[in-house]
Amino acid sequence: MGLEPGRIHYSWISSAESTKFVDVVKTVTEAVRALGPNKQFVKKMAKVA
Amino acid sequence: MLEYIDSIRKIAEKILKEGTVEMVIGFRRGTVPLMNEPCVVKKPEDVKHLVWDSSCGVNLANYLPDRKEKIGIVAKGCDSRNIVTHIIENKIKREQLYIIGIPCKGMIDRRKITGMLEVEIESAVETAEGITVKGGGVEKTFRKADVLQDNCAICIHRNPVLSDEPAAGPVVEQQGVDRYEDVRRIEGMATEEKFRFFDDLLAECIRCYACRNACPLCYCPTCFVDESRPQWVGKGQDPSDIRTFHFLRAYHCAGRCTDCGACERACPMGIKVRLLTKKLEKDALELFNWEAGLSLEVRPPLDTYKPEDPDEFIK
Amino acid sequence: MKVVKINKQKWTEGIEALKNMYRLYGPVKEDRFHNFTLLEKGVSPDFNFQNTRLSPKGVIYPQTEVMFHYTLDESREDHHVMKEAAGEAAPRAIVGIRPCDAAAFLLVKRNFDTPEYQDPYWVRAYEGTTLVGLACQQPCQTCFCTTAGCGPFHEEGLDVLLVQETDAFLAKALTAKGENLLKAAGWGEAGDGGTIEKMKQDAETRIRTAVHTDRLAEKTIPDLFDAPFWDDVAFSCINCGTCTYVCPTCWCFDIQDEVSGKAGLRLRNWDSCMYPLFTFHGSGHNPRNAKTKRVRQRFMHKLKYYVDKYHNGIQCVGCGRCIRLCPVNIDIRRVCELMNTYAASR
Repeated sequence: MGLEPGRIHYSWISSAESTKFVDVVKTVTEAVRALGPNKQFVKKMAKVA
Repeated sequence: MLEYIDSIRKIAEKILKEGTVEMVIGFRRGTVPLMNEPCVVKKPEDVKHLVWDSSCGVNLANYLPDRKEKIGIVAKGCDSRNIVTHIIENKIKREQLYIIGIPCKGMIDRRKITGMLEVEIESAVETAEGITVKGGGVEKTFRKADVLQDNCAICIHRNPVLSDEPAAGPVVEQQGVDRYEDVRRIEGMATEEKFRFFDDLLAECIRCYACRNACPLCYCPTCFVDESRPQWVGKGQDPSDIRTFHFLRAYHCAGRCTDCGACERACPMGIKVRLLTKKLEKDALELFNWEAGLSLEVRPPLDTYKPEDPDEFIK
Repeated sequence: MKVVKINKQKWTEGIEALKNMYRLYGPVKEDRFHNFTLLEKGVSPDFNFQNTRLSPKGVIYPQTEVMFHYTLDESREDHHVMKEAAGEAAPRAIVGIRPCDAAAFLLVKRNFDTPEYQDPYWVRAYEGTTLVGLACQQPCQTCFCTTAGCGPFHEEGLDVLLVQETDAFLAKALTAKGENLLKAAGWGEAGDGGTIEKMKQDAETRIRTAVHTDRLAEKTIPDLFDAPFWDDVAFSCINCGTCTYVCPTCWCFDIQDEVSGKAGLRLRNWDSCMYPLFTFHGSGHNPRNAKTKRVRQRFMHKLKYYVDKYHNGIQCVGCGRCIRLCPVNIDIRRVCELMNTYAASR
């Protein structure tokens, strides 16, 4: 739908895989931070005030 | 398809008289050219109001969810697939239904005719050869193939998949149809281009929700756009809210959509909303070899787990 | 009132001149359909339409309108104070509005501008706008304005009536506001208004359909409310909001707050009696919890409650949009007939 690639990530993590969860969250956070602020699909209206 | 009228009426009269059903859902003659209105007939003497032609595009399966009566229903190929989906999803019971099957030859898109005629249609007459419309002193006959709804032009399930009594013998199914040319074109767009494409596509949306409400799949007691605790999406005309509505609506149809075209037909603004659901329909076919509503025996891919389900997108 | 003649060249010049004085709205063909938009420099209104798909209701009464803005930032002195939004600057003018759509504003005015209450947003927008109507010489098949208290050349509600001739317009100023606009456009050449009456009669004969409303007032509300035809009328309805959103006389709205970070807006959005949420109480109870009740409400409001409350005919101008655009072909003319002829058996 035109979202920048890299902003969506699917993972399958069991509740027993806590370390995997931490790793995935770290990787995804870093990857998204590297992309910078989202440009598409941002609601602009409420900034008026 | 005009010849179906007699047999629809005969079957409807019979099942009402015999008490097989309490009501028959079909179409009555509309008040404007190329429009018929879904209606319900409860008395055998009223079956004369039932009609059939190429302006019966509304998906009648939409009128079934949670009904308790025994119902006769006139069903085209796509309607029947949505009936199957309803049965699978427990929205109606098979035993409640007496399906009058319509081997369908496609429905007319009256907007295409208006577009080509460039004047308002004053009257329309359908014959076996085509549609003759009059308007603004002009009379023109269109070949039906040229003015079909987009989804009908690429339909490969014209015959009902579930029927208690067909109104006529089966029609020949279309072969070798390329169903996804338009979806592939969008898939091939670059990110920015794709975003702009959808901006343009949805620019005219007035959020009347006709697309959602015309769809047999949309029967949630409270739609996510109507939830207020929590409120998932803004209710105004902000493009991001409009887009959220359309995309989530489409996602809810994944693996369930039969491409009946009811959404697109209903849109008062003529937005090609099928482009959204078609992508998911294509994915369901390619990933799970699944076409919705073809069988009562097989569970849809999104409510079953199979070890061999594709999972390349999960990292 | 005086009639002026505007030839083609004067027309284009006048339109450009008006843009210096007014925010000028007019019909423009977008893709396949005409829509009322703000006319930029060099863009002339395109009158090659029967009627626009949406009425210009939204110019006066936008589908989403900011009422207030506020901040939740408690380090600011004015936190949590609602500040009225400025709204769009006046004066404005709508050129090419159909007489039915202009008459519709008068019906809506009965709701938004009463001796007790004035809706400041609507009243400001309406009063700051000059309505230049375009007489309807080719009505649609679904038009029934002549029996809905209106007509193809209806003047009430307009400031100027334009009538299209082969190579010129005749403009009839109907109010002081209208005269000012004609002056601002530099349109002053005296015209012969004698032909207008004939064209009006011709246009009226082209209205093919009618509603009968003469007996609505004499029915009782309970009789019509309990009439047996509502289930049949409502059966096909899918409860979308198309009829209400395309209707120039539907005025219902919903107020919503939207907050992003510490910045907040209070918005007014069109709402529709077709939606369950419209009457959903905080308690969880919904007095109009079924489709039939909502469909009945729409028709009862337009064709009975309004009739009884205002003694001003029906809350409908006969533009026919709801008939043309209803996805399932529910026809207000048919329902009006059912209501008007209904005799309760008691």
